[in-house]
Amino acid sequence: MKVSSFRYLVNQGVKGIWKNRMMTFASFCILLVSLLMVGIAVLLEMNLTKIISGIENKSEVVVVIKDGTSQADIDKLEQDLKAAVNINSVSFYSKDAAWKNMMKDMTEEEKDLFDYADDNPLPDTFKVTVKDIKRMGETTTQIETFANVDSTQSPTELADFLISIRRVLTIVGFAVIMALVIVSLVIISNTTRASVFSRRKEINIMKYVGATNSFIRIPFFVEGMIVGIVAAVAALLLTKFSYEGVYNVFNNDFGLWKVLGVQNLYKFGDLYLYVALAYIGAGAIIGAIGTSISTGKHLKV
Amino acid sequence: MVEFKDVSVTYSSGVDALNKVNLRINDGDFAFVVGASGAGKSTLIKLVLKEIDATSGTVLVNGFNLRKLRRRKIPKLRRTIGVVFQDFRLIPTMTVYENVAFVLRVIDAPAKYIRSRVPYVISLVGLSDKAKAYPTELSGGEQQRVALARALVNDPKLIIADEPTGNIDPALSYEIVELLKGINECGTTILMVTHEHDLVRYFGGRIININKGSIAFDEVVEGSNESK
Repeated sequence: MKVSSFRYLVNQGVKGIWKNRMMTFASFCILLVSLLMVGIAVLLEMNLTKIISGIENKSEVVVVIKDGTSQADIDKLEQDLKAAVNINSVSFYSKDAAWKNMMKDMTEEEKDLFDYADDNPLPDTFKVTVKDIKRMGETTTQIETFANVDSTQSPTELADFLISIRRVLTIVGFAVIMALVIVSLVIISNTTRASVFSRRKEINIMKYVGATNSFIRIPFFVEGMIVGIVAAVAALLLTKFSYEGVYNVFNNDFGLWKVLGVQNLYKFGDLYLYVALAYIGAGAIIGAIGTSISTGKHLKV
Repeated sequence: MVEFKDVSVTYSSGVDALNKVNLRINDGDFAFVVGASGAGKSTLIKLVLKEIDATSGTVLVNGFNLRKLRRRKIPKLRRTIGVVFQDFRLIPTMTVYENVAFVLRVIDAPAKYIRSRVPYVISLVGLSDKAKAYPTELSGGEQQRVALARALVNDPKLIIADEPTGNIDPALSYEIVELLKGINECGTTILMVTHEHDLVRYFGGRIININKGSIAFDEVVEGSNESK
């Protein structure tokens, strides 16, 4: 095929968008809604997983150090903790710091109660976060065997709860996303089929004058691809504005949510490129291939 | 040249559309194909365009043996044939010029040739002033002339006109056949299917009558216009 012919066919594809604007608009809307549904579901799933990870990372094991342990032994214990398996971070929390912190949160009446205490009753502790929350129980047991460890406190019930939530979220998230993908593909394929069906006579005429299948398909391919890309760009903008709106509400207005780790939500700026590539790739491929597959049915003349 | 050798067509429904038909249309011939509805005229055209295959026998069209012709080679065959349909079958989203030029674009003709050939052919059918119009803006007769220009632009060896006067004013029917006659005089073979006996009687020439899937009559008849 000559370059001029190829250019003509691409041009025909571009012109076809306007000439068949009603069906083009229908395809555009269906693609836009489908991309939005799947895109938002994926973003939601990613963020929920990230929130849970944030909560998991905050789950600490408190290691209470025996009273009267020397500084050298405390240092040794810190080394042992850092060297242990599944440890993410170890931070020392001195009895003085704990005392000051406790006093800060107390009311004047409560403080009066402690006026009679001659000494700080709180112990020195290490706050330890784990890499894999599923192994928190095992790690805690190991820590208890270390020298100069008086006791440990770990939120194992919370850990189990988070593990179950994560498992359910992964399964439900995957199922919902797959269902949306399938529903979208079915709707898109019906729309492209209807769009091509409305032009079956045109395809038929082209066959009678000796056009090859590829000659007929190229304009439809170009047309589908452009509609797909435009729908993807529209979906990207809508996702950006709605995502940023929700992000700001959660980040600025719901202080309580911060406790749960909502500050861990992905910023749209970090995801922009991936979302754009996914939308444009999916839009262009579904638009172009969907339309040319639907065209194939009418080429057997 | 079109040649049918013992051609039979039986549809999957069991209907025998053609029964051992033998027919030869030489290059440069003008033949009317007449017959009642369901006689087999449309089947004959579908065979020539390789829209369907013969159940038995051989069909030769413009040097192609259609029994041996592969599916992907069908466009090559169709580029040697111009087709005019009763319902015009113009592409509604293209102008008159674009409809006619489309055939040349299909065969990858040079842009320069398209620019000179298309206006010439449109002028032959008398529609130069309508070149930028869309099919819906034209009368039936004008649309059929565009279809004729489209069939002609590629300089095909054979033009098949399937009831080309069926959807137009009877007075304009003569004009369309006159145009086809003019094209034929330049050497193009014309096969015109019609059931308008007045038209056939008027122009005369070779008349092939198909009846119940067989050739009932195939002779050259003098037209009433010639005897005047």
